[in-house]
Order: sequence, then structure tokens, then C-alpha cells
Amino acid sequence: MTSRALAWRTVTAERPRAVLAVVGVMVIGALLFDMLLLSRGLLVSLRQMLDTAGYDVRIVASDGFPIRSAIPHASAVADEVARLPEVREVTIVRTDRAVVQIPGRRPVEVALVSLTEGAERRVWRLAAGRDLGSDVRTNSASPPAVINRGLAEALALGPGSTLRLRVIVSGAASAVPATTFEVVGVADFEFDSADEYAVATTFDAFRRARASTASDDADVILVSSKPDVESSATVAAIERRRPDVRAYSNAQLVARFDENGFAYFRQISFVLSSITLGFAFLLVGTLLTVSVNQRLGQVAALRALGLPRRRIASMLAWESAFLVGVGGLLSLPAGWALARQLDGILRQMPNIPDRMHFFVFEPGIAAWHLGLLAATGIAAAVYPVWIATRLPIAATLRLETIS
Amino acid sequence: MGPAARMLVFVILALVTVRLNADTPDTVRRDPVRLKPDTTYAPARLQADATNVKADATHVPEILLSRQLMDQARVHVGDVVTLATDADGSHATRFRVVGTYEPVPDPRKFSARRLEAHLHLPDLIALTLDPKNPESSDQVSALNLSLLNPRDAGALTAALARRLPGMGAQSTSQSGRRDDPFAVLERFHEAIALVTVTGSTAFLLALMVMRAEERREIIGILRLMGIPSRSILVEVLLEGLLIAVAGAIFGILVAVAAQGLVNRFFQWRYDTTLVFVRVTRSIAWKAVGFAVPLGVVAGLAASWTLLRRSVISLVRR
Repeated sequence: MTSRALAWRTVTAERPRAVLAVVGVMVIGALLFDMLLLSRGLLVSLRQMLDTAGYDVRIVASDGFPIRSAIPHASAVADEVARLPEVREVTIVRTDRAVVQIPGRRPVEVALVSLTEGAERRVWRLAAGRDLGSDVRTNSASPPAVINRGLAEALALGPGSTLRLRVIVSGAASAVPATTFEVVGVADFEFDSADEYAVATTFDAFRRARASTASDDADVILVSSKPDVESSATVAAIERRRPDVRAYSNAQLVARFDENGFAYFRQISFVLSSITLGFAFLLVGTLLTVSVNQRLGQVAALRALGLPRRRIASMLAWESAFLVGVGGLLSLPAGWALARQLDGILRQMPNIPDRMHFFVFEPGIAAWHLGLLAATGIAAAVYPVWIATRLPIAATLRLETIS
Repeated sequence: MGPAARMLVFVILALVTVRLNADTPDTVRRDPVRLKPDTTYAPARLQADATNVKADATHVPEILLSRQLMDQARVHVGDVVTLATDADGSHATRFRVVGTYEPVPDPRKFSARRLEAHLHLPDLIALTLDPKNPESSDQVSALNLSLLNPRDAGALTAALARRLPGMGAQSTSQSGRRDDPFAVLERFHEAIALVTVTGSTAFLLALMVMRAEERREIIGILRLMGIPSRSILVEVLLEGLLIAVAGAIFGILVAVAAQGLVNRFFQWRYDTTLVFVRVTRSIAWKAVGFAVPLGVVAGLAASWTLLRRSVISLVRR
């Protein structure tokens, strides 16, 4: 009989114990898997979000990004950047806070957005009605607006509805008059979050709403490099041409978030992964050690029958492999199910875009997970193997007989 | 580490002062400095200017710099530094460093480098004055209010919103909102604690089953001697209780010892005095409340399977 068959018999002889051990490994393994998903989840998710928008460089006013600071004379900056040989497309993004006023109801705060004409398709997907554009005509004299689905559902708005909003002027008492928009479309915005409402309009209407027709500030300028140009080359070219602004590639942005905002999740992931691995090691090691101690007579008898130490060691290693292997494999689906629950909890934080997730699967993580569990199983088997292979055969058998 | 210790560690993680905020301000190549005379602040640039210390030491205004800024800028008490609110250094003002301070730990800024300075209010106003804006000398970023009755915070917020459109007021006490980041994190840690307890319970049960099996013959002999199953069960119950209490106490001791290590590590990592983990009495009691019944029930469940078997099957080899 092979070592593997012997180990299988031992494991199946004590089914309740084996099932409980496998369940324990599965639960702990699921937690380990989730912590590995969490370690890079936000970064991967953020990178995916940034990349899918189609822009690989972002221009902001200062180094203090993401703290909001307006880029003055944004149109001039965008024109200059657009003329660079590395650049394919430039989009100016202007945002402001506003409140939607509805008679008899509490005002609803929204983000008022304006994009360079033609860039709308990259930033939102139209769900109903028409898009913004130079050719769009409203039924009334009101300027057009595209609203996100959340706002449309919350206020029961749709194409043809009117929307009255007033821009919030931060830090000062303001008498900016309200502006009435006509909703021409409802869309899913790329960076939508469940708790944020958005209203997009044309640049002219945006300036009218802010009662500031001379203002040409922007929050961010999005740049798309030509296909054969590296983002870093575009960043360097922009900063050479306009040293008064800061340009970041998507990779640089992700790295900056990694250093700051996401550091907590990386740290907590590291701490919990380490503890989980240590925990699994201790528990599997304890189970195997107790199991070996209960079978010392049996092991001594096998040795007395001529079974070499190598096979005894191999048998115990197989036992560990069965417990950790089955539990580890089961931990993948269990971990994924748990990750969805934990993701749901963390996504309750405010202003988390709908497409952003804390737990993101990457094939490499599953391999890492199984590798770590395998290493833990091997390490946990070391001590029981040492006991089983070093025990004195005659003395053990004698003790077994007289007890 | 026993289940109690495991559980305690995670309950601690769940319930104590681990704080974060994803939108913490960042410090970058230009090294903006936050000036904080109570509630008014502005970003500025700092430049060490030690060459003119003696010439103007008696006339330059005073400034306090945060420990982190002193370290980064390699400035010492007595040095003269130049502060400017814009990148090109125009409208710069020189200050004499008269001391250093440790910034008040802020969970929302724990991952940010606290490059800050304290100025006298007139000095700050003079530094940030915008000649184009006559109101700039009378502007502040925020006002701190102390209410006669803290329960009036909601009413005050509403009144301010009505009377001063554009102004916002926020209570410093816990918001109680479900989407409060700290409340969300607390739920996240509690969920992890629950999963860990589930895994621990499975392992604990496996160990108890093995332990009960180990004592199969002894239990069989006791029953052959006429000792009733109930007495044996009570003995198992008391033994389990003793072990569970000891395990819980050991777990709390491990957690108390570990909190210092965890705090020191994270305080070193983020250069802050913020306390990340604190074992409070309520957390300790909660851990005991979980661990003790769990241990006792696991022991009873494992022994119950033996006590239900016939005496002959127990003593058979």
C-alpha cells in the first residue's frame, strides 16, 4: 500500500474530524484569499476605471492632487497641449457643486459637469434620450442637460423634464440665481457612485449657471496619447511645454493613491494574511500532532514491520496535503462568495464609484493563495513527521502494550 | 494562539480606533505647508534661510513648525525660514522658528505627512492677503463652535443653512450615519471577526473530537463503574469552562501585549502618534463572552457523541 493510500485511509477513518479540519482550512483559506484580493483590489479596480475611460494622462493645477485646485485659462492650456505631437485628444472637465431645487422638497446636491464637446461618449453611456452636442435643441429656451440614472430615478425625471438648479459658491454667502435646464438624456456615468447625482451640460450653460461667463477654469484636463506614444513621454512633453501645471499618467496616479489613500487596505491585508497563515499553520500542525500522538503505537508497529521512515514521513505529508489541499480548493469559491459580501460592506463608504471594487480577482492571486496554503501545509507537517520518524520502536510498542 | 486570542485580536481590529480616510491630503514635490492658527489655513511654501539669522532675528515674526516639517526641511529652533503662498516664492515672508510641536493625531490624515506650521493670526493674514480681494483679510476657512447644549447641533446646522446660504456646519461628534467611513470599517472588521470565529470553531471542534476520542476508554471504564453519564458530562462541562476561561484570559494578555507592537509598528510606518489599536475593557469582556461559551459548547458537543455510545463500544479495543 502506498503512503498516499495509507494517508487516505487514516483521514477517512475519522470522518467527522477530517470534515471539521477541512471546514476550518476552508474558512481560514477563504479569509486568506480575500486578504490577497484586498491587497491590490482597489488599485487594480482604479487602474481599470482610468484605462477604460480612454485617457492615459491627466493634467491638474498643482501637485496637491487629488485636492481640488482649478486650472486657470484651461482652454489655452488645452489648445497648447493638443498641438503636441504626442497627443491625440484633449478633453476639458469642469465641475461644480449645485443644488437641485424642487418646490416642497429638500434640495438635492448634485455635481454639475461640463466636458469638451465630443468627449461625452467616453465619460457616460446614454441610457435614454439624446446626448449633448452643438446640434441638440431643447423644446424650451432652457439649456440642455444629461443626468445620471440615480438622479433620474430619485426625482422621477426623464427626457423632456425640467430641472432647476443653483450652483453652490463655497465659503461665501451667494445670491447666484437658479438656472432651469431641460433634461435631454439619462446616462450611466463612468465614475457614478450610488450616493452621488450628476448633471452634465454644455460649457455655455455651465458658465451661465455659475453666473461667470468670463471664467475659464477647469478641474482637470484629460489627455489621450497617440497609439505609439508612451504615457510617460506625453507627461514629459506636457510638463516641458506648460511647467505651471502637473501631468500624471494613469500609472503615476495609481502609484500615488497606493502611497496614500489605499495604504490602509494594503497594511490591513498584510497583517491579516500573516495572522491567517500563522493561524492555519498552528491549527493544522496541532491537528496532525495530536493525531500522530494518538497513533504512536500504530506508527511504531508499521516501522517494526519494516516500513522505512521515508514512507512514514510521506504518509503524514499526504495527510496534511489532503486536509489543506481539499480545504484550500474549497476556499476559492468560499472566499469569492465572502469577498462579495465584504466588498458590499466596504462599498457603503460615501463617494465610491459603482465600478470600483475593493476585492478584485487576478489569476496570479489564486496561484499565490494555493502556494501559500501548500507551504503552510508542508510546514505544519514538519513537527509531526519529526515525532513519527524519531520515535523509539521497542519502547513505544512496550508502552502501548502495558497501557 | 488560542481561539480566544484570535477572536480578541479581530474584535480589537473591529472595534477600536483604526481610522482612515481615502482622501487624505498629500504632500508632493513642491512641499505645500499647512498653516494652522486654530482654524484658518492656507497652503504655502517653506524655504530655510539660515544665512540671515543674525541680521533680522529681532524683527522677524515667530513661527512654530511641526516635528515632521522640522525633520524634512532640516530646520532647527532659532533658524529663519521663508514662507510663501505661491510656487514662485513671490510675496514671501520670513519667520523665526521659535519651537516645534507634534500635530494632533487625526485619523483622517494618518497616512499624510503632517507638514504644518503655526503662526500668529495677524502674521497669517498678512501672508495670505490678496490685494485684489479686499475681503481676504477677513476670511477664514472654518470656525470652531462650542455649543451650550451639544444636542442642539442639528438645529444649529439647519439654522445656519437657512441664514447663511453656501455655508455648511458639521458636528464633530459621531454622525451615526450608516455610510460614515468609520462605521463602515467597523462593520468590515466585525465581519472578518465573525469569519475568523467560524474557522476557529471548526478547528476547535476537530480538536475536541480528537480529545474526546482519546478519552474514550476512560469514559467507558467510568461508566462501567456506575458513574452516571450526567456526572461525566458535568465534569466535562467544568473542565471545558476552566480551559475556556484560561484561554480567554491568555488571549486577552496576548492582545494587550500585541497592541503595543501593532501601535509601534504603525506609528513608525506613518510617523504619527495616532493610536491604532486599543484593548478596552468592553472589548475584553466581549471576547470573553464569545470565547467561553464557545469553548464549553464545543467540549460538550464532542463528549456528547461518546456518552451516547454503548459502554461496550467504548471499552472495546
